[in-house]
Amino acid sequence: MTDRNAIIDLRDVHKHYGEFHALKGISMEIAEGEFFSLLGPSGCGKTTLLRSIAGFEDISSGALMLDGADMAGVPPNKRPTNMVFQSYAIFPHLTVGENVAFGLRRKTGLSKSDKARMVDEALEMVGLVGYGARAAHALSGGQRQRVALARALILKPRVLLLDEPLSALDKKLREQMQSELRRLQRQVGITFILVTHDQEEALIMSDRIAVMFEGRIAQLASPQDLYLRPKSRDVAEFIGVMNFFEGGFQTGAAGIEMTAQGLGAARITGDQIMGSGSGTSCAVGIRPESLSILFEGETTSERIAEGVVDDLAYYGDMTYYEVRLDGMDHPLTISMKNRAGRPVLERGVRTRVAWDPRSLVVFS
Amino acid sequence: MRRSGWLGLYAVAYLIFLYAPIIILPLFAFNDSAVIAFPLSGFTLNWFRELTGIEAMHAALRNSLFIAVMTALFSTLLGIAAARAATRYNFPLKAGIMGLIMLPLVLPEIIVAVSLLVVAVQIFGMPLSAWTVIAAHTLICTPFCIAILNTAFQNLDPALEEAAVDLGETPQSTFRLITLPLVIPGIISSLLISFTISLDEFIIAFFLTGNEPTLPVYIWGLFRFPARIPVVMALGTILVAVSIILLAIAEYYRRRGLARAGQKDTGGFL
Amino acid sequence: MFSFWTQDFLSLDTTPTLNNYREFLAEPLYQELLRRSLIIAGSVTVVTVLLAFPIAYYVSFYVRPERKSLWLFLITIPFWTSYLIRVFLWRVILGFDGVVNTALMNLGLINEPLTFILYNPNAVVITLAHAFAPFAILPIFVALERIDRSLLEASRDLGENAFNTFRRVTLPLAMPGVVASVLIVFIPTIGDYVTPRLVGGPEGLMIANMIQTQFLRLNNAPLGAALAVIAMLSVTLISLAFIWLTRKYLRAR
Repeated sequence: MTDRNAIIDLRDVHKHYGEFHALKGISMEIAEGEFFSLLGPSGCGKTTLLRSIAGFEDISSGALMLDGADMAGVPPNKRPTNMVFQSYAIFPHLTVGENVAFGLRRKTGLSKSDKARMVDEALEMVGLVGYGARAAHALSGGQRQRVALARALILKPRVLLLDEPLSALDKKLREQMQSELRRLQRQVGITFILVTHDQEEALIMSDRIAVMFEGRIAQLASPQDLYLRPKSRDVAEFIGVMNFFEGGFQTGAAGIEMTAQGLGAARITGDQIMGSGSGTSCAVGIRPESLSILFEGETTSERIAEGVVDDLAYYGDMTYYEVRLDGMDHPLTISMKNRAGRPVLERGVRTRVAWDPRSLVVFS
Repeated sequence: MRRSGWLGLYAVAYLIFLYAPIIILPLFAFNDSAVIAFPLSGFTLNWFRELTGIEAMHAALRNSLFIAVMTALFSTLLGIAAARAATRYNFPLKAGIMGLIMLPLVLPEIIVAVSLLVVAVQIFGMPLSAWTVIAAHTLICTPFCIAILNTAFQNLDPALEEAAVDLGETPQSTFRLITLPLVIPGIISSLLISFTISLDEFIIAFFLTGNEPTLPVYIWGLFRFPARIPVVMALGTILVAVSIILLAIAEYYRRRGLARAGQKDTGGFL
Repeated sequence: MFSFWTQDFLSLDTTPTLNNYREFLAEPLYQELLRRSLIIAGSVTVVTVLLAFPIAYYVSFYVRPERKSLWLFLITIPFWTSYLIRVFLWRVILGFDGVVNTALMNLGLINEPLTFILYNPNAVVITLAHAFAPFAILPIFVALERIDRSLLEASRDLGENAFNTFRRVTLPLAMPGVVASVLIVFIPTIGDYVTPRLVGGPEGLMIANMIQTQFLRLNNAPLGAALAVIAMLSVTLISLAFIWLTRKYLRAR
């Protein structure tokens, strides 16, 4: 992201609430026009960080630069940011149109007709044409969400902050809004910062994701890097599912040799090793979709291990198998796409499992 | 709903029990007899006409109205401050302090009256006047105001105020544009309720009123003169009618406040 | 409030203060009044809460949700109208040639007016049960509203009949509301002097009447204050004992 200007620059930001240390030294840059997500479990500090950027929380130490200007002491109403609240905070005593126009009151040099036109455009942008005169408290959840977006975007902020905006919606609507938000962001080109605890949502929508645990950034990377090359076991477990083996590695003249209980030895490359610890007693990880069941008569160029099907869950498009490899005390999760001619195995049958050393990650 | 027959009958009987005095009151107010007893003897407006001529009663009424208006203002202002503090901020001993403020709700009124009499006269050496009554009435009305205003402030999502600031408003204009419009129904019903309580309150007023009686104190005095009782009935009818109208308005605003905030109606006052 | 109160009391008695309490102990009239006040307040509480419970139950369980606030409004209206006038009207209703007697005589149910309903403690109980009705109904109603209806269905599902469901599920869960209404009726009742004066007759007078007399008629404010303190203390002790007993009872189950 070096080709774009940093719109937000955080330098060693700390936040204390009395004894509680909510943010423990956050440093990062967010580029202009980026769709950026703060992802983490509840209580990790992601909302505190977002509210600090908006100006609702004062940071205890460090610097918060917004568009090149230090934001210390600048109140929320003077910052070039706008927010979509988790509860949407639609003013219940105003109409939809009055809600959307709310922020324009302070804009000088706009005629009444200019404002009306801007409101119409904003409503059109979020797909609420003709809703201007409706009472706000009669709207559905999805419509409130759209009004909140229009109300914030009409002010053309440099940064739009979204605090878990989709968490109150049901699954179908949430998926629809995810793609709409993405489209909207590309259309207006404004930097979006999304707070979410839903890893799938973050992966789908973001250019980059900061994973936060306990007030610290555990990893800041693109969705693919985050998924394929998680920096720690915690991040790997938070983003999707990963199987772990006890193992280790040795660097020799011929390259790096990894051994894992149940899998055996294999040659790997240096970028598969996370962390800078020693090669003894490491955790070796592999994603469920990187393992596959070899059915009767199938062959592979990959490595093969053998085991017994412990349990399975049939999802329609996929089947998730729990397979216990020979010599292992806990089962592995393997996801297989269901397709014609491919049977669903039963519990207790022996099976072969294919794996590729290139998809391993070693945490040292 | 399910078999509600007997309970329904009981509920209706109970309502009759509750409303018996209010139903009987106008009967005697319009009854053409100086004796308050059955059978009724005929319709008359004399008692109401007589009301207009009693100067002392008019003075008591003016006094009561003044006290009720001041009480409504003071207790609602205190109520706003307390409700705002209780719903927005956390402070040490919050539960204890709020409990102490709500205490006059359950204290025997005579205890409140006697304590205040002692405080006012013996400690501060204040002469008894309308102001001592106002102070006492403010004390007993504030808990009711807090109860009403608490609901109003609780229904106010803090994110609404933040959203207004985020959209460029200052804290002052946010209060004017967002907070006030959303809690104003609660404020109006708080004003009306405290006004009604103060207007009708007797026990405390009797102790604390000086030589300017309030209306209920004046009525109490009239009970000693059997000949005046029909006039009291007429006056009572007017008072009850006014109270019910004020309460209906208060209830209307309370419901409108809920509707505005998009909330479900969950109950009445208190 | 208590410390506040005691201080007031001490500051107005600059010379030794126990005399007033000694007078209370020496004069049987005061003790009799206090005893009677507590008994009347107790009966008022029992009657009011017993009458109130079915109403709260009816409104909570049988009235349609959108009608509930109308019922609550109807129940609270009489409470907001002039207390003095309401009490006086009970005198009219219960009196020698009052509504009840006239009606009963016209119906031929009785030959001469009933006298046991006015100017005695019964009248005080009836009138106060009326005055404190909403205070008793609302806390019970709130407690009943909080009961998850599926608990009752679960009880029926587990084999209890309607009555036992009420006894084993509804009633214990409504107890906090009942306790609240008992206290909210019992405590203020002690402090009322209007009702005893207007409908109580000589046998219906209560401690608050004596406090009032001491303060305003006999100009013996310190004695009045001592009586008020004693009344307040007795009420507090009884309330605390009541709370303690219900807690113990509920925990024992």
